[in-house]
Amino acid sequence: MSIIRRLALILAFSFFVLSLGLVYWQVVQADELVNHPANRRLILMEGKVARGGIFDRNGEVLAQSIEADGSTRREYPKGEMMEPLLGYATLQHGSAGLESALAELLLGQKYGTPGQQLQRFFDLPRQGNDVVLSLDAGLQKTAYQGLQGKTGSVVALDPRTGQVLALASQPSYSPNQLEENWAQIIQQTGSPLQNHAFSLFPPGSIMKVVTSKALFTAGIDTTDLFHCEGSVIINGQRISEQNGKEHGWVNYNLALADSCNTYFSVQAVESGARRFLAAARDFGFGKAIPFELPITRSSITNTAGGGPIPDTLDENMLAASAFGQGQVLVSPFHMALITAGIANHGVMMKPYIVERVLAEQNKVTYQAHPEPWLTALTEEQAKKITSAMITAVNEGTAAPGAISSVQVAAKTGSAEPGGDVLTHAWYIAFAPAEAPRIAVVVMIENGGTGGGAAAPIARNLIIQALSGK
Amino acid sequence: MRTIWSQVSWRLLIIAVLLTGLLVLHRQGKMTVQIWQMAGIYAALIVCGCLLECILSYRGDRWLLPVIQLISVIGLVFLVRVNPALATKQFLWAILGLALFYLILWGLKDYRRLGEIQYLWGLIAVVLLFVTLLFGVTSGGARSWLKIGSLGFEPEEVVKVFLLIFLAVYLDNHEQVLKIGTVQWGRISAPDWRTIGPFLLMAAFSLGILAAQKSLGTALVFYLLFVSMIYFSTERGFYLAMALPALLGTGVLGYFLFGHVRVRVAAWLNPWQDIAGGGYQIAQSLFAISGGGLLGSGLGNGIGAAQIPAAGTDFIFAVIAEELGFAGAIALVGIFLLLIFRALIISARAEDRLGQILAAGIGLLLATETLMILAGVTKLLPLTGIPLPWVSYGGSSMLIHFLLFALLANISRHAATRQRGTEPG
Repeated sequence: MSIIRRLALILAFSFFVLSLGLVYWQVVQADELVNHPANRRLILMEGKVARGGIFDRNGEVLAQSIEADGSTRREYPKGEMMEPLLGYATLQHGSAGLESALAELLLGQKYGTPGQQLQRFFDLPRQGNDVVLSLDAGLQKTAYQGLQGKTGSVVALDPRTGQVLALASQPSYSPNQLEENWAQIIQQTGSPLQNHAFSLFPPGSIMKVVTSKALFTAGIDTTDLFHCEGSVIINGQRISEQNGKEHGWVNYNLALADSCNTYFSVQAVESGARRFLAAARDFGFGKAIPFELPITRSSITNTAGGGPIPDTLDENMLAASAFGQGQVLVSPFHMALITAGIANHGVMMKPYIVERVLAEQNKVTYQAHPEPWLTALTEEQAKKITSAMITAVNEGTAAPGAISSVQVAAKTGSAEPGGDVLTHAWYIAFAPAEAPRIAVVVMIENGGTGGGAAAPIARNLIIQALSGK
Repeated sequence: MRTIWSQVSWRLLIIAVLLTGLLVLHRQGKMTVQIWQMAGIYAALIVCGCLLECILSYRGDRWLLPVIQLISVIGLVFLVRVNPALATKQFLWAILGLALFYLILWGLKDYRRLGEIQYLWGLIAVVLLFVTLLFGVTSGGARSWLKIGSLGFEPEEVVKVFLLIFLAVYLDNHEQVLKIGTVQWGRISAPDWRTIGPFLLMAAFSLGILAAQKSLGTALVFYLLFVSMIYFSTERGFYLAMALPALLGTGVLGYFLFGHVRVRVAAWLNPWQDIAGGGYQIAQSLFAISGGGLLGSGLGNGIGAAQIPAAGTDFIFAVIAEELGFAGAIALVGIFLLLIFRALIISARAEDRLGQILAAGIGLLLATETLMILAGVTKLLPLTGIPLPWVSYGGSSMLIHFLLFALLANISRHAATRQRGTEPG
């Protein structure tokens, strides 16, 4: 081969490698990099695009761009109650929340009309898209008011579709005075910028609904009676009831209703670690939750490090994990999905908050469609857990959440975060129990007991949601 | 008559590209009367030159100049987009460059006479670099500018011409010795010191001075050019085998000796780590490139032009890749490759050895420059700040590349006319 040919081949190959580099950045990494926090692309686009509005399911304005004196200003009419869910988009501080996650929609980059694409190409000033959320501003307000003065979060879903109806987190901040108060906001205790519904906490007794599945798959007879003596020793480790209470003879139904730790520890050890971990996996532990906003993965052990859950657990860890202690960590949002899954006959729907995207003249360019995410339970298993959660409301620990006109199914949790502090108060519920239309999770950090601190907030939310329709 | 039309229509297409780009930018308010005037002159020069080629019956390579003009036009449009003030000057350089091209193409009677002063070329190069080191002005971290009155230029660009000619003449004269060798080292035969000495001396001097003035990118271009040209003329892998360890050794040495080399390498390995500091430029470049996607954001719509430092010089390709997308970027890369291949073809067709080596050398120089800056901008290799020929802002680079490719056209013209049995006119 002549030297010229050889050189030509070497050069052609070098240029080929170079073009692979272009493919890598422009095709493979394109989506990844546009969301990089230091990338100012989407924010800089604002100068040319009027950021679209954000509306709730009934058309109430949650965020809008107002033009005045030649410059546009972002206004949030609902103020604090929508934060940190809505987030912000500023040149100075970057963007966060839905304003960040939905930027491509609001700026008309995605789901635009051909007309918008053309305007984009020729750099004409243009209007972004409006986004309609599945959120109900009325429910959001109730959730926000319930959380006032506390630290915690509320998540309400439609279990049939996976639509997010309310997603409140406290403390929050006023989005209309973000710039002025920035220094104070970032120093405030309780991290107002952080959505507490997406953070991880020990679940405590609400974990028992997950453990239930392990019991069912192990073939444990749920009508069998078990004698609770207030505590039990498993492999040298003492498992105690809350406040040392003795529950006496209980079956599965009563054990869940009265939140009997010893029952679930003993039965989980009986069922084995593999079945418990399989149940957790079926409910989405260790998995990334498909949602518009990033959510930390729930985990069973620390060592899992946010990745997949382990293959095995030692007996002591299993006994503690069975009632949501040990190293189990879950986000309130994930817990809402689990609750909705039980309500929806075992099928956990893929959660979403963007209902529709509207381009100019209210042309619908995107419409959400409900999709199943995981099948956590068989219909029969879901029924068993539901009936135990009904018992919990009617005669068990969840009684403070009961509503006279409608049957609620619920479970409380009081999780020990470690250290000498008040327990985290958890409450999960759905209603009406026979044909659920709403699933709610309330989580008050260091709030005490689930029945006392969390249940009343969920109760108000359910009453309002069911009366509205 | 038909060839006239096909030639003219190519040039009209290039002018159409220029016009379309400038009209889009005009709509965005980036154009000034002055730029329109300059663009008009450049377009007129393109057409006049083409007619001149027909009248004087130019028989050399027909691709060379149109391809260069296309590249320059793309560069000019993007420079207007990035910085209209710089673009006004760049238009002037392009006009002068194109005039220089025709001057060399028709004015240089016999390029073989360049060989008459072999060592003088190398000497001029080294002296010029040395003067720059002593009296140069620092700009962009490198002491690489010479100012004469108000006129500044970059000697390292000019030196490219001298070194290239020196090397071609040198290789032409000593090819046999370099190929066969006169000294035996075991099974390897190497050339004697008397043959290789002047070359090594000149190479060491020029690379050393460039390293001293912190023009590491240019030093690397020269090094790769030396090695690839020796490889081309001797066809011996031995020289490649010698050159690679030397390059790696120097690289490692440079890494430990110079702080700015370490910063560059760190920014290359992980630009995201120090995104506000050392990694800023490359990260912004990657944000721009990746934002382009397949079809680009459209001319004038990208963020790179405002976000990337040195968007008009080293990083102009990132702006192009963003606004024209993968499609546009790959097209530009393809045009450069086409031009490099034309140089190799001219080398293959040149009748005398000096013409062959010189033509291949010009092609290899362009290939090295293009690959190095494009690989740097896309993070395939650590960044070495060198201009992208005809595209990045810079008068010296513009003129020198027009000059070198005029030499190439001259070689192809001689080969074509000689094949017809007539002396070039």
